[in-house]
Formats: sequence, structure tokens, C-alpha cells
Amino acid sequence: MNNIKIKSKNLNVYYGNKQALFDVNLDLNEKEVTALIGPSGCGKSTFIRCINRMNDVIDICKVTGNIEMDGMNINDKDLDVVSLRERVGMVFQKPNPFPKSIYDNISYGPKIHGKGETKSELDQIVENSLKKSALWEEVKDRLDEPGTSLSGGQQQRLCIARAISVNPEVILMDEPCSALDPIATAKIEELIDELKKTYTIVIVTHSMAQAVRVSQKTGFFHLGKLIEVGKTEKIFKNPDNKMTQDYITGRFG
Amino acid sequence: MTKEERLKKRHRAEKRFRFYGLTSIFVALLFVVILVQNIFSKGSSAFKKTVITTEVFFDQELLEIQNGASQEEIMEADFYDIMIENLIKAYPAKDRDEEDELLKLFSGDSEIEIKKAFLNDNNLIGKTITLDLTASDDIDQLHKGNYPRDLPEERRRISDFQLVIYDYFVENKKISKNFNNYFFNNGDSRDPELAGIGGALVGSFYSILICLLLAFPVAVLASIYLEEFAPKNKITDFIEININNLAAVPSIVYGLLALQILLATIQLPRSTPLVAGITLALMTLPRIIIPCRASLKAVPPSIREGALAVGASKFQSVFHHVVPLALPGTLSGTIIGLAQALGETAPLILIGMVAFVVDIPSSPVDPSSSLPVQVYLWSESAERGFVEKTSATIMMLLSFLIVMNFIAVYLRQKFEKRWN
Repeated sequence: MNNIKIKSKNLNVYYGNKQALFDVNLDLNEKEVTALIGPSGCGKSTFIRCINRMNDVIDICKVTGNIEMDGMNINDKDLDVVSLRERVGMVFQKPNPFPKSIYDNISYGPKIHGKGETKSELDQIVENSLKKSALWEEVKDRLDEPGTSLSGGQQQRLCIARAISVNPEVILMDEPCSALDPIATAKIEELIDELKKTYTIVIVTHSMAQAVRVSQKTGFFHLGKLIEVGKTEKIFKNPDNKMTQDYITGRFG
Repeated sequence: MTKEERLKKRHRAEKRFRFYGLTSIFVALLFVVILVQNIFSKGSSAFKKTVITTEVFFDQELLEIQNGASQEEIMEADFYDIMIENLIKAYPAKDRDEEDELLKLFSGDSEIEIKKAFLNDNNLIGKTITLDLTASDDIDQLHKGNYPRDLPEERRRISDFQLVIYDYFVENKKISKNFNNYFFNNGDSRDPELAGIGGALVGSFYSILICLLLAFPVAVLASIYLEEFAPKNKITDFIEININNLAAVPSIVYGLLALQILLATIQLPRSTPLVAGITLALMTLPRIIIPCRASLKAVPPSIREGALAVGASKFQSVFHHVVPLALPGTLSGTIIGLAQALGETAPLILIGMVAFVVDIPSSPVDPSSSLPVQVYLWSESAERGFVEKTSATIMMLLSFLIVMNFIAVYLRQKFEKRWN
């Protein structure tokens, strides 16, 4: 069993008057893939957006309770979100490369964090990030082409490369394959398998099969509550909760 | 109704709609053609001026200066006698009355034109040169064919004798049409043949420059703050509504505001491009803020999230990613706002730019005119020469507007980036 990297205790999230998460207690293990499943609007995305404080962007969003990373309270008002997001990267549902060159897409993060002072250091970071996201071979000769000129799957791998360019500890993935075809999806899943050696990964997915393939631990959310969490094998073979059973067998959701 | 009938009805409706659309486009184009044709037919002759080729002999006895005189000496010297002596030789007149009528065929600037020739070459004393002297407005219009000459003499501005002289000039090829440099280089004048838009051009340039320098940074920063940083609450809603209202306020109201505040209270110099620029900036501000905010809004939120997720601060995500993407739209909005300001007349009339200004302004605090106000001024003048100048000024104004709008469209298409 790996160490616990992130620990949430009684986490509640409100959007205005509407409560989106109810007392979520969830531990994420280091260098492991945790999958979050559940029907649309159940709070999976809201949960992972608490980990890098992306909910701050939404004016009416209020978060209470505790969420800790290596003992540090993420929810602390005085915490510098910039350095938090340097440690917790994120990949979104729809590939969102900057409308800049492939090189600039990846070098942007290191630049603003003061990593890679010289051109050659930056070049190295860009190359490593692209290699880690298995995109290097495809784009090494056209780094100055716009990132938006790549195919959907390549764009998503570019976004993963962008996330790992600042060398984070945790990578959050919000349905990273929902906009991709099966071949691109397979490539991303392979990549996730590789990345978990270095990073703690949380992935939100609507595909049960994907959760089984990539994750070691699975959490099932329903209507803002964490219904059940456990080893992926157990959740999919022998869940304790009737609702989990119904969801994974496709009876609702 | 059967299925076939319904289908036919649908097709008919579509055909009708296409017909209406084509008709409206045709009508609109027709009006544009009529407008442009009207302006061109009236105005194009203003770009040429009629000149009378005259031999000028610089007689030492009529001048108090010597060959090799300095610039100042020439400027101060009197060339009136030289002018008279030479002009009356242009046609063998019999008596004083005939000479007077002959002299009236030349513009009021003949003396200056002769002096300029001497300024260019100060060794002309004792020599004879051939000069193209600007003709008076009456001869100019007659030569351009704008005055009918078959009217009875009392209804013409040109006497029978002057017509005889004119015909003599034509016969001897002494009269011709040159490029009208006065139209571009001179300020306003009471004499149509000497009046030009030089002052108005410079005045408009300074006004628009000041308007740009004031309105652009304020509008862009206000838009960025309101769109990206300001909390969404009742106060910002109120501000937003009022910006939209301000864009719809009639421009003359801004003129009244400037009259009261800039001229009466702060006592800035009247009729100057400085005041015009500030007034136009006030008017243009909301007209830039609106397209600027729209183009900021058009940048997808995913770009902001992408930047924030790699650890960019709010400021960095806005200025590194959102603003560059919104820039083409902002610039084209600004240019269109400036084009509107360039054509604005009403507020400028109120702040005294209708004053008759002969000198070309050398700084934004000199009294000046502006292009649209010049159009307004000349359109009220009776002389035929001002009619063509009015249309020619409109042509200049329109071409500036077309160029600015073209730049706006070009910027938008060239730099607008596509995102998924």
C-alpha cells in the first residue's frame, strides 16, 4: 500500500445555495491512479477541482471542510494557489492547447515558474515533457507549428505534456478521453499507466472499462456523496453497496 | 393540404425570401452608386485648378531689392507693381477699365506666386520667366465648364469683355489645368480658388491622434478590468448598462459637455484639436469598450483554465493569453470607433471648430478646422468653387474612412486565431 498523498475530510462544496458535495472523505494514494466514477452531475469533477482550487474561479462557489496534501491544508485561505497548481497539474475534458506553437504550449509553465532559465534548459524540459507524454516522435520536427493544428488525441497528449512540464506531484484528469476516438483513448490510457510511476493521478471517467483498465482505486459518487471507495478490482467485482452494483452493471446512470 | 402542396409552399416561401433579399441589396447598392456618382461628378474637378500661363519680367525699377537678396528681404519686398505691370501685358487691353477686368481673371495670390518664383531663384532681376498663375474662381469654373456662357451678360459673373480675353487665352493656349496643390496645402480662404483642406487635414489628424491616445488605453484597461477582474454584482451591472447607454448618447451632447467643462470651466483654448480630441475621446470611449469586451468574452474559458491550471496567476492568464487573443477584435473595434470620431461634426461645431481659420495649425493647441466641419462650412457657401470643394472634401473624408475600415477588417482576419 502506497502512502496517502491527498486526504479529504468532511469536504462540502456549495454553488450558491445548491450543495454539490456532501461530507466527502476520500484518500488518494501516492503514485497510483484513482478513478472517480458516477453519473453526470454527481460531483466527481467538483471534487477534483477542489484539489487544485480551480473552484476559486467560480464566484459563487464555497468550499468547507478539510483537504490536505502531504499534511498541508489545500483549503487554507492564505495558501498561494499559484504554487499549489505548480504541484497539482490538470488535464481537461476538451483538449485546450493555447493557440500558440507546440513549443510555447509546453515552455509556458516552466517559464512563469522560473524553471528553465536558459534556452537549452527549456528545450530539455520541452523534449522531456513531450517524451513522457509519448508525443515527441510525432511532433519533434514541427515544434513551431500551432498546437491547435494537431489532431484531437495529439492535442490531449500535448495538454498532458503541458501539465507535466512544471513537474507536478499530482495530475488531475477530468474525463480526458471523452472527446477522443478509441485509438487516441488507448494511447492516453497507456500513457497514464506509464505516468503513474512518477505521479499521483486522479481521473474522472464515464467509462467503466477505462476505470478498470487504468486505476488501482475507484470511488463511486452519486448526487454529491461518495457512496463507496475501494480497490478497483473489488468495486467492480464485489461492491458492498447496492447502488454501486446497479451503476456498474448499467441499471442507472 | 397534401404533402406536395406543402413542399411547394415551402419552396415558394424560400424563393420569395431570396427575392426580397436581392431587392434590398440592389436598392442599397443603387443608393450607394447614386451618392458616389453625385459626389464624384461634383467633386473630381476640384483636384485640378485652372492656370494662366503668363510671362513675368522682373524689372529692377519696380523692385527695391537686388539680385541675390536674402530670404527675409524678398519676403518683405513689395511685388505688387511687378505683378500689375506683368499681368496687364497678358492681353492687349485698351484702357484702365479693360485692365481692371483683365486683372480680375487672376487669383488674389498672383503677387505671392510671383514672389515665390523669386524666392526659388533670387537672380531673376532683368530676366523674363514663364509662370503658371492661378486663375480666379470665375475663370476656373468657366474653364471647367461649370458656368454656362450663353446667359445674358447681367446674369453672368463674367463680363463679355472677360469672355473675349478668355477666348484669346484659349486660342493662344495660355490657359490650362494643373494639379491643384492649393487644395491640399492651403487652409481655408474666402476665395474658392485659394481655399484648401490643409488646415482641416492637420486639425483632424491631431484631433484623432489625441482621441486615440486618450480613449484607447482607458477603454482597453476598463474592458479588461470589467470583463476579467471585476466581481459580478449590482455595481458592475449598473456600470455595464451605463456604458451601453453612453454609446447611444447623441454626439452633440458630448459637445455641450465639452463646452461647459473644457471651455467654460477649465478654460482650454477654443476651436483647438486638443479640445476636439478630448471631446471625441469621451464619445469614443464606450464605443471602444463595447467591442473590446465582446472580443474578451469571445475567448473561450478553457484557455483561461488551461493557463490557471499550469499555475499562472490571474494576471498572467489574462495578459499572456486572453488579451493577445482579444487584440485583433479590440483593434478593429478601436479603428471603427476612430472612424466614427473622424466623421463627427456636431460636437466640434459646439466647441468652436466652425471658426474661419486660414492658418494651418502647427500644434494641437492652435485654432483649427476639421474635415467634416470644413464640409459643413463650405456647403453653406454660395460660390460654385466651394460646391466642388465640398464634394472633394467629402471624397477625402470617405477615402480615409474606407481605408480605416479596410485596416480594421484586415487586422481582424489576419490575426484572429482559431481555437477548438
